[in-house]
Amino acid sequence: MKKILSIALIAIIASAMVFAGGSSESAADDGTSPIKIGAMYALSGTNAAIGTNIMRGVDFAVEMINEQGGVNGRPIEIVRGDTQGDPKVGRSVAERLITQDGVHAILGCHQSTITQIVAQVCEQYQIPELTAISTVDNLSTFGFKYFFRMCPMNSIYVENQFMYLEDLGNQKGTPIKRIAIFADNSNIGQELIRCARLFAPKYGMEIVAEVQYNSGATDLTSEVLSIKAANPDAVLCESYINDAILFTKTLAEQGYQPPVVVAKANGFADPSYIPATEGISNGIASVVEWNPDLTKGQEINAAFKEKYGVDMNGHSAESFTAIWILKTAFEQAGTTDGTAVRDALASMDIQGSFPNGPEIILPYDRIKFGDMEVDGTAHTQNNLYASVAIAQIQDGEYKTVWPFEVSSTEVQYPAEFK
Amino acid sequence: MEIFLQACVNGLLIGGFYSLMGMGQNIIFGVMKIINFCHGEMLMIGMYLTFVFNTYLGLDPYLSIPLVVIVMFALGALIQHTLITPSLGTKSFTNLLFLTVGLGMLFQNLALVIFSPNYRTITTSYSTKTLSLGPVTMSLPKMISFIGLIIVTVALFWFLRYTPTGKKIRAVSQNPIGAEVVGINAKRIYIITYGLGCALAGIAGALLTLFYMVYPMVGASFSFKALIVVVVGGFGSIQGAFFAGIFLGLLETLSSLIVGPTYRDLTVFVTFIVILVVRQMIKLRRR
Repeated sequence: MKKILSIALIAIIASAMVFAGGSSESAADDGTSPIKIGAMYALSGTNAAIGTNIMRGVDFAVEMINEQGGVNGRPIEIVRGDTQGDPKVGRSVAERLITQDGVHAILGCHQSTITQIVAQVCEQYQIPELTAISTVDNLSTFGFKYFFRMCPMNSIYVENQFMYLEDLGNQKGTPIKRIAIFADNSNIGQELIRCARLFAPKYGMEIVAEVQYNSGATDLTSEVLSIKAANPDAVLCESYINDAILFTKTLAEQGYQPPVVVAKANGFADPSYIPATEGISNGIASVVEWNPDLTKGQEINAAFKEKYGVDMNGHSAESFTAIWILKTAFEQAGTTDGTAVRDALASMDIQGSFPNGPEIILPYDRIKFGDMEVDGTAHTQNNLYASVAIAQIQDGEYKTVWPFEVSSTEVQYPAEFK
Repeated sequence: MEIFLQACVNGLLIGGFYSLMGMGQNIIFGVMKIINFCHGEMLMIGMYLTFVFNTYLGLDPYLSIPLVVIVMFALGALIQHTLITPSLGTKSFTNLLFLTVGLGMLFQNLALVIFSPNYRTITTSYSTKTLSLGPVTMSLPKMISFIGLIIVTVALFWFLRYTPTGKKIRAVSQNPIGAEVVGINAKRIYIITYGLGCALAGIAGALLTLFYMVYPMVGASFSFKALIVVVVGGFGSIQGAFFAGIFLGLLETLSSLIVGPTYRDLTVFVTFIVILVVRQMIKLRRR
C-alpha cells in the first residue's frame, strides 16, 4: 500500500513539473505577456527584515508602472527569489528564475557575496542584472558585461563618512583625528576596514582601533570595551540590524559615549532600529541613501507610507528607483532580449526624472552607468553620479545633517545618547 | 583588570543562557534520545510571549515568567503528545530529525507572519538603569536576569534530585525499560520532560528579552550554542551542560578580550575541537 502511495505521489509531482515547465515555455515573447523581473533578496532567514523593506520599494514601483500601462503596454511581473541570505542558495535560485521562470532581468541582491554569484549566473545566461543595494567595491571589477550597479560603492560611502568627519571637525573647531572602526567580519565589514585604511591618511586621521565581531553575536561587551579603551574621537560602524541594536544597547549599559558615531547605513538605517533603541540612540549618525526629510520624493513617500504604514528607507527608495531604471531600459530596448536590454542599460542617461515617470528620489540627480577608477582599480558599469547623505538621529528620527549645504538641521555634537 | 572583570561577568551571564538552553536540550535527549532541533524556536516563542504580555497586557517582563512557563509547558506537552510520542514508535532517527527541524521552520515562519521580520525590544522604567559593583558596570535587567538564571538552575537541580517526578525523569533517562518495569508511565514522563525542556527555553527567552531584541530568527544563534554545549557537556548530562554553558560564555567574552574580537569564534571552535579530541583520546586510553 505504501509503495503504491509513494509511486502515485512521485507521478503527481512529476506531472506537475512537466506542466510547470510547459507553461513557462508557452509564455514566450509575444509582445503582450508580462515582462518578468526576478527580485532576489532574503525573504526568510536573519536578513528577512531587510528583504521586506527592499521588496516594498519594488512592489510599489511595479504597481505604479502597471497602473500607468506598463512597459509599452506590457505589465511588469515580479518573480520573487528567496536567497535566504545564503550564498549557497543564491546560485540555485538565480538559475531557477532564469531557466524555469524565464525572467528577463534580475534585480538583486542585498548581500554582495550573493550578488557576485548571481552576476556570474546572469553572465552565463546573458540576462542583465541590476543591483540597487550591493556596495562591495570589487563587484564591478570583474568586467561583467551584464551586471550594473546603481548604488554608490563602499569606497564612496566611506569617503563621504570621512568628508563628514572633516567638515564636522572644522565646523565645531575640534578636529577629529583618532577614529575607531566597529565592523562585522563579513565581506561588507572588511570593506569598511579596507576603505578606512585607504582614506584615513588622506584626511589626516589615525585608526586607533579596529574591532571586528561575528554577526549575530549574543554579547558585544568586550568589543565595546576595547573601543572605549582606545578612546577615539569618532567611531565608524558597519553592522547588520541585530548587531546594531545590541551595540547601541551595550554602549548605553557601559555608559560609554563616543563624541561621534557614524554608521555606514545598513542596520542603523533599518526602520526597526530607532524604535528598538528608543532613548539611547539620539546623536548616532548614519550614511543614508535616502531620508524622508529630503526635499525630493515627498509625494512618492507619502503614497508609500499610506500603503505600508512606514516611511521609505534607503533600501526601499533604491529598489524603487532600480525598478524604474529597468522599466526605462526595457522601454528603450523595445524587446526583452537580454543583450538588447543590457545595451539599453549601458547607454542610458537619466537626468532629473525618468521618461514618463517620477523624479530621481535619491540624493543625486543623474543616473548613467560608466567606468571609473578608485585607488588604481578599474570599475565598470557603476552609476557615475551616485552619492549619499549623512543623517543624525535627533528626537527619535533621522535628520539629514550633511552635506551642510543641503541640510537645515544642525549636527548634535557631541552625541547625547538619550 | 576592570575590563577583564567586566568580561567575566558578561561571560557568566551569557554562559548562563547557554547553560539553560543546553540543559533543556539534555533533559529531552536524556529521556527520549532525540535532539530537539526546534529548541531555539522555543526560546524565540518565549521571547515573543514576553513581548506580547508586555506590549498588550502591560505585564512586566519578569513578572510574566510564570505565564510564559505555563504556556510553554503546555505547548511542549501538546507537541510531545500529538507529534513526538507517535513518531518515537517508528524508531527512526530521520523521522524525528525532520519533525523537530520542520517544527522549527514552522514556528519561525509563523512568527514571521504574525510579527513581521522587524526587530523589537521592550522598554520598562528600569531598563536603562545600571548598577556599578566596584569596577563592573551592569544594567539592572542583566542583573535581574542573572539572579533569575541562578534561581532557575538551582530549582532545576533540586527538582530532578528530590521530587518524585524528577526522580522518575532520571529513572527513565538511565534505564527506560527498567523504569517501565517498576511502573513508571513512560509516556507521561515524556510529556513532562518535553514540556519542561520547552519551559526552560521559554524562561531563557523571557530573561533575555529585556536586554536583547526579539525577531523570528533569534533562536538560531542560541540553539547552535546549545548544541555545542550538549556535545561538549556530554549528551544527556545535565551537570555537563551546565558547566559547558558557563565555560562557553566565559570563553567567548574572554577570547574576544584577550585574543581579539576577530578571533572569537576561531578560539571557541579550536578549543572545542581540542576538548573533543582530547576527551576521545582519554576514553580510548582507558579502554
